[in-house]
Amino acid sequence: MEKSNKKNWLVPSILVVLLAAALLLAAATGAVRISTKEIIEILTKGTDTVNASILMDIRLPRVLLAAVIGAGLAAVGGVMQSIFKNPLVDSYTLGMSSGAALGAVISIITGINVSIMGIETTGVFAFAGAVLTLFFVYSLAYTRSRMSINSLLLAGVAVSYFLASVISFLMMLNNDKIEHIVFWTMGSLSMATWNEFYLASAIILPATAVLLYYTRELNILVMGEDAAHHLGINTAVLKNILLITCALIVGVVVSTGGTIAFLGLVAPHIIRLVAGSDNKKVIPYSALLGAVLLVLSDTAGRLLIQPVEIPVGVMTSIMGGPFFIFLLRRQKAK
Amino acid sequence: MDSHIQVEKLSFSYDYKKVLEQVDMSIKKGCFFCLVGPNGSGKSTLLKVISSALKPQQGVVYLEGRNIVHMKGRSVAKLLSFVPQNTSLEFDFKVSDVVLMGRYPYINKLKGETREDLTIAEKAMEYTNTTHLRDRSFMELSGGERQRVILAQALAQEPDILILDEPVSHLDLQHQVEILNLIKKMCVDRKLTAITVLHDLNMASAYGDYIVMMKDGKIMRQGTPFETLTAYNIKEIFSTDVYVSVSPVGNKPYIYTLTRPNIEKRGIKVHIICGGGSGSSIIGKLHSEGFDLSSGVLTIGDLDWKISKENDVLIAEEVPFVGISDEAYAMNRKLAAEADAIVLAGLYLGKSNMRNLELLLEEDLKGKPLIIIEDDSFAERDYTGGTALQLYELIKGRSSSILADSKRLSEEILKAVGTHGEK
Repeated sequence: MEKSNKKNWLVPSILVVLLAAALLLAAATGAVRISTKEIIEILTKGTDTVNASILMDIRLPRVLLAAVIGAGLAAVGGVMQSIFKNPLVDSYTLGMSSGAALGAVISIITGINVSIMGIETTGVFAFAGAVLTLFFVYSLAYTRSRMSINSLLLAGVAVSYFLASVISFLMMLNNDKIEHIVFWTMGSLSMATWNEFYLASAIILPATAVLLYYTRELNILVMGEDAAHHLGINTAVLKNILLITCALIVGVVVSTGGTIAFLGLVAPHIIRLVAGSDNKKVIPYSALLGAVLLVLSDTAGRLLIQPVEIPVGVMTSIMGGPFFIFLLRRQKAK
Repeated sequence: MDSHIQVEKLSFSYDYKKVLEQVDMSIKKGCFFCLVGPNGSGKSTLLKVISSALKPQQGVVYLEGRNIVHMKGRSVAKLLSFVPQNTSLEFDFKVSDVVLMGRYPYINKLKGETREDLTIAEKAMEYTNTTHLRDRSFMELSGGERQRVILAQALAQEPDILILDEPVSHLDLQHQVEILNLIKKMCVDRKLTAITVLHDLNMASAYGDYIVMMKDGKIMRQGTPFETLTAYNIKEIFSTDVYVSVSPVGNKPYIYTLTRPNIEKRGIKVHIICGGGSGSSIIGKLHSEGFDLSSGVLTIGDLDWKISKENDVLIAEEVPFVGISDEAYAMNRKLAAEADAIVLAGLYLGKSNMRNLELLLEEDLKGKPLIIIEDDSFAERDYTGGTALQLYELIKGRSSSILADSKRLSEEILKAVGTHGEK
């Protein structure tokens, strides 16, 4: 018992340390280097130097936003993989991210972009896009009271492509706003503000808590919906709660950082390789790892070819794509 | 009443296709209940409705007297567990975790699993002999091991009712027997009611206390294995010709599928004088070769009588221990007279069935082809103090042929009937 307890604490402890290190590294590096000592000084004493304003106004909100978004995306990925009992599902493969991006793009183009009590309409549109796409894809895959996971993935990918081309079309028609739109479709954190960070945290953190609350049920869902039903779970209600919560997180992520691919897919798999498939561990650990990975990806994107910034969505795709192929091959080998 | 599950006038359709029609069923507590029937007969749908996975469209299902529609998911889960044909997981879980999932309906979300839950899961693993697998990954297990783990999970649910949809269809013989023995044991030890779909009729016969035969969404027959698993019923429900005998192990019906695709009826009637098991193999052989059979005089409950019954052989029958009444004798004589040939099996003879021999000396039967099976010497089978032996010698004199066993019986019958016909 004692031994396994020790083991239980090992992975999360490492993840927390990694996250702290990643945050510190991300805050310290960039066009201007700020030493660890100085960071601590700025944070504790509130000095008023140029470095302080770089850290407090530009880097810190960005780094923290990356952490929150990364955590949300990874948790969503882990949850959706369990709901659909398929390792290749995440918010991206099911078209949710593209739907959210289209929602955001529509809001930008139409110019309906007002902020009511800190909630921007772009975010609301992104959320609506994510939910609508999810249910559309879902209904495509659901025929004769049965759902086939293959048709779900196919429908997700097809709808994703379709929405992406709609976005491209809208970009063509709206040359003037193209830069703004590219920001959404590629995923970037360069415009992060404290307000965005607060808004994202206020929604993503409680939503992730909801997902964590249902990890035991998620485990049972992996056994199949019938099995879950026979253990007394109202699967229809549970799935709706989980999927809407996921859509909420994805909507917020897209509205603050654009579409960021592969992170939600990759993080839970890395955790499963290390800590097994128990969702009571997979979901929280994935969230921590997702935060670490997105902070590092964003920092790498900032540093690699200075002064040009690589959008974080491009970074995650470059790293996540090969991993996705690795997963596909591994599944085929099974 | 002791009725554990009550199904009343249940109907169900998918889209426009009727899958269940007016199903009535009553299942007693502690009963091993088998559903058999061809593919698409509605068995699985019936199980799904009983287990609340599907809502009845018409009719009612009562579990322990409560209407299932009005029960909460958790209360159903505490009462009933479901074991599917096979379970595969996309993500890897430890065996002990899978078993512990069975405690879900009892778990308080905030407290998590209690020591009691762990103990119950532990005991379920002991009972199903899966304790040694506890730290293994579920997906690495063999089919039989997986099914045992799923049974452990079902047991951890502490149900009163166990519903199984073809639980052994994917398993080899050893594991089929292992799983079915385990389920049977649960029924006996824990007063569990098991309802299972089985495709193997002999397994259904061996394990089922009660059998329901379904076809086209309707219940065609229900009752004990002997009442239901007859050649006639199986022909009607599965459109398959079979030969039904009695398994020497466990005294249950045993179904033999006939290797010949269809029995071509030869249109030749054969009457068999037998009893005490002497005619069983003869009836089976001749039945499968397409002869129309009758037998007599047989005591009700006798082995040959059972086999005759199960294979739709016309019988001249008599109640036990009274000898052969005039009525039974007349019936026997009538059947023999209508037959194209008579076979005298190697039966034991005593005072009570001596008249079976006397029959063969009747004037009107003298011209009939008669084939005698003499596997043991008659003297050893004579318990009449010699009277029967005398009759036997006379009968032998007029027989067409005497065989040591039934190997060449049908050829002999055909030969005898043929030459007789030419006469």
